[in-house]
Amino acid sequence: MEPAAPYTSFDQEAQICAHCGYCQAVCPTYAAIGWESAGPRGRMTIATEGLRGDGFPDEAAQRIYECTLCGHCREACATRIDTLAAWLEARRRLADRGALERLPLGRLRDNLRQAHNVTGDPAENRLMWQADLEHADPGLNGRAGAEIVYFVGCVTGLYGQGHPIAQAATEIFRAAGLNFTTLGSAEWCCGFPYLGLGLPAEAAAVARHNLAAVQSLGARTIVASCPSCFHMWRDVYPDLLAAPIGLEVLHASELAARLLAEDRIELAPRPLRVTYHDPCDLGRNSGVYDAPRAVLRAIPGVELVEMADTRENALCCGGGGNLEAVNPALVAEIAARRIAQAVETGATILVTPCQQCKRTLAAAARKARARLKVLDLNEIVRQAMAV
Amino acid sequence: MPDELTHPPLAELLGDRYTENPFERSFYRRDLGVVPPRLASLIGDTLPDAVARPRTADEISAILCYAAECKLAVTPRAAATTAYWNAVPLARGLLLDLNGLAGLVEIHEARLTATVLPGTRWGDLDRALRRRGFTLLSYPTSAPAATVGGWICMEGYGIGSLKYGGVQGQLRELEATLADGRITQVSGASKAAGALRATGFAGSEGTLGIITRAELVIRRTPAAIGHHLLTFPDMAAATGAVAELAAASPTPFYAHFAAESYGRFLRRAGFTPAADGPLLAITYDGEPDEAAQGDRNVRQAAARWRGAALPEALAAREWDERFLALRLKRGGPSVLAAEAWLPTARLADYADDVAKLAAQQGLPIATYGTVVAPGQTTVMSLYGCDESRPLPYLLALSLTKKLYDIAFRHGGRPYGLGVWNTPYLAQAMSAEELAMRRATKRTLDPANILNPGKVYAPPRLLWPPAFKLGMDLLAGTRRVGKRWL
Repeated sequence: MEPAAPYTSFDQEAQICAHCGYCQAVCPTYAAIGWESAGPRGRMTIATEGLRGDGFPDEAAQRIYECTLCGHCREACATRIDTLAAWLEARRRLADRGALERLPLGRLRDNLRQAHNVTGDPAENRLMWQADLEHADPGLNGRAGAEIVYFVGCVTGLYGQGHPIAQAATEIFRAAGLNFTTLGSAEWCCGFPYLGLGLPAEAAAVARHNLAAVQSLGARTIVASCPSCFHMWRDVYPDLLAAPIGLEVLHASELAARLLAEDRIELAPRPLRVTYHDPCDLGRNSGVYDAPRAVLRAIPGVELVEMADTRENALCCGGGGNLEAVNPALVAEIAARRIAQAVETGATILVTPCQQCKRTLAAAARKARARLKVLDLNEIVRQAMAV
Repeated sequence: MPDELTHPPLAELLGDRYTENPFERSFYRRDLGVVPPRLASLIGDTLPDAVARPRTADEISAILCYAAECKLAVTPRAAATTAYWNAVPLARGLLLDLNGLAGLVEIHEARLTATVLPGTRWGDLDRALRRRGFTLLSYPTSAPAATVGGWICMEGYGIGSLKYGGVQGQLRELEATLADGRITQVSGASKAAGALRATGFAGSEGTLGIITRAELVIRRTPAAIGHHLLTFPDMAAATGAVAELAAASPTPFYAHFAAESYGRFLRRAGFTPAADGPLLAITYDGEPDEAAQGDRNVRQAAARWRGAALPEALAAREWDERFLALRLKRGGPSVLAAEAWLPTARLADYADDVAKLAAQQGLPIATYGTVVAPGQTTVMSLYGCDESRPLPYLLALSLTKKLYDIAFRHGGRPYGLGVWNTPYLAQAMSAEELAMRRATKRTLDPANILNPGKVYAPPRLLWPPAFKLGMDLLAGTRRVGKRWL
């Protein structure tokens, strides 16, 4: 099937929208809320009718920001609209008109501006995950001459739930003998939350900072365990900076698949029935579907059972698009649908290569009292490593 | 319960699935069609007073009892994938959003049927069935969004209909909630005189009752499927080939044609057509020998009608993109269209006349369609316009009437009525059929609560003689003034 057509302009694309409802059929927000205004074609109506003048109703802004930016509507769109580009532009227009103050998004913006991360933590807290590392490494932060920079990301680095992911990733890299480092406390948010807020100029500023920080170390490759950071580095930074970044960008799952193919890590048998969740920013929005599955299949004894909706059709976990800041209850409701699909597979472990998906899905699994453990891909690989 | 609500009992019944919020209500004023607001306001008041999202037949029954008591107009709606205001309110009232009444309830393997709820999308239903080794007999060309209840209430012809007939013939049983709130079972097989039959809902567009459950005939997933894509030197050859293949054995599952104008329009929209000439996409499915015989039939028809087979990969792509005809809208950015039911044998003549109209009006018009029954095709002719320019858009609207005139000349009739096709009631059905339909409506919904203003008579502004004269004048004006548009 032909991909989304080149984006023309906000007004033109809104007019091209046929209101056919193909998007509504796949929208996680619409499925949870149920009102026409909550689906993509409702958002297009808001875009055409509600965002032309200077003002806007609060409900309109709420609906525009109650979107996980999962990209499923773009896959479904009968008129091949790059809907993600449209939603980001709608947010930019709203942000320009002061929507962030009227929605609970001002704090996120302020955290990003002041602390360069989503939580508002001091920069040194980005190193907290390193405290429990199995193998201490003095070169882990900002070591010049490293070939690879592991871009840890805000959620992995600053939320306790994310720490095991960074720990597992670095253990895998170490075991494979990679010459790697991180940006340590010099790392800034990748800029994805800025884009989601409707502040692309700020996203471009952090892109410049992060790129300069990596370039100063002389590294050639960036590896991100966070799909959104990966997507930003590989696909968005060149647009924001209007130039190629001159680095190889890999998601951790792609690097792990490569290391396994090169026999640089050895895995012990793990007799587990596992299902896999495609993160939106890794799958639909970046086209990486096979590498994480290859990694799982490389673990001896792992039986991979797919959910009813996978790959391009995978359901969103609810954790994207800054939705958690706008409507956390909606995140939980969206995640519950995905957990129900995971439970249907009979798997005991749900693996996803994304710290945000892990957070939302683990919370939903607990709430549903599902007998399902949620792990990041790095964690299950680390557990299977025969070291 | 807020005091200021107009219908507190409905709020009490449905809780947060009921709203009178003006912001929420405003999204239910339209369907695929774009009507300039001033013109829309002359036809009816499209803003519902309230929107309700029931989840059970019992809730629908209670809502309809309340509506009957208050003489409240009720407009049923699910995906709203039509363009004739079939699911847009004309008299405010209550908008009944049926999307929440969705799901595959049960598969009856022994009798090869499935019980489903009306808000289930056809695409979702087919995926759910395929996971269990079954599939649908037919589904609409808008299957990713269109719902079971919606298609049953339309005429229900689309992909698969050529081989398996319209959806009406696939109904084992229907459950419907009538205007007085009664939940009734309607047999698809009943032939008793005077009995309400499932087929009676065909074309009723939500005016007779709300379908709340349907038992549909299904089939086991076919063992083989074969896609073919042919291009022809002209539409006469394509018409000859498709008519021959549709009449031959085995019957194709799907037969889709596109005139040369479709390819040109697709290119204008930024996409690449499989070929520049008229196209014919044919799919066979069933047992392997059926697909193999279909393959032989296609080769013979291609040889007889000077057709050239395109590569298998292109045929497969055409099949994958069978739900994406609306891509053409990128060549708009708005589009207007006429969809008609037409004898297949007249396709080439129809396409020729549409091409002449396009030349007269200086406007590309794309023609394509699906053979949905032996000798019968649903044909769509679509052209670009710009809804943001009110006068040119209004003039362009008149061309739909010219397209219908062409269809009528070739033995066609409108496919779907809603509001905007009611001026063509006389062409859509015989006087006897219309009288029978009106009588059924009076019996089942004497207070005219369900979807008022649709199907049975045009609104005053669309009184046929005045409408036709007005449209002809606008089309003439457009033709004369096309260079300034």
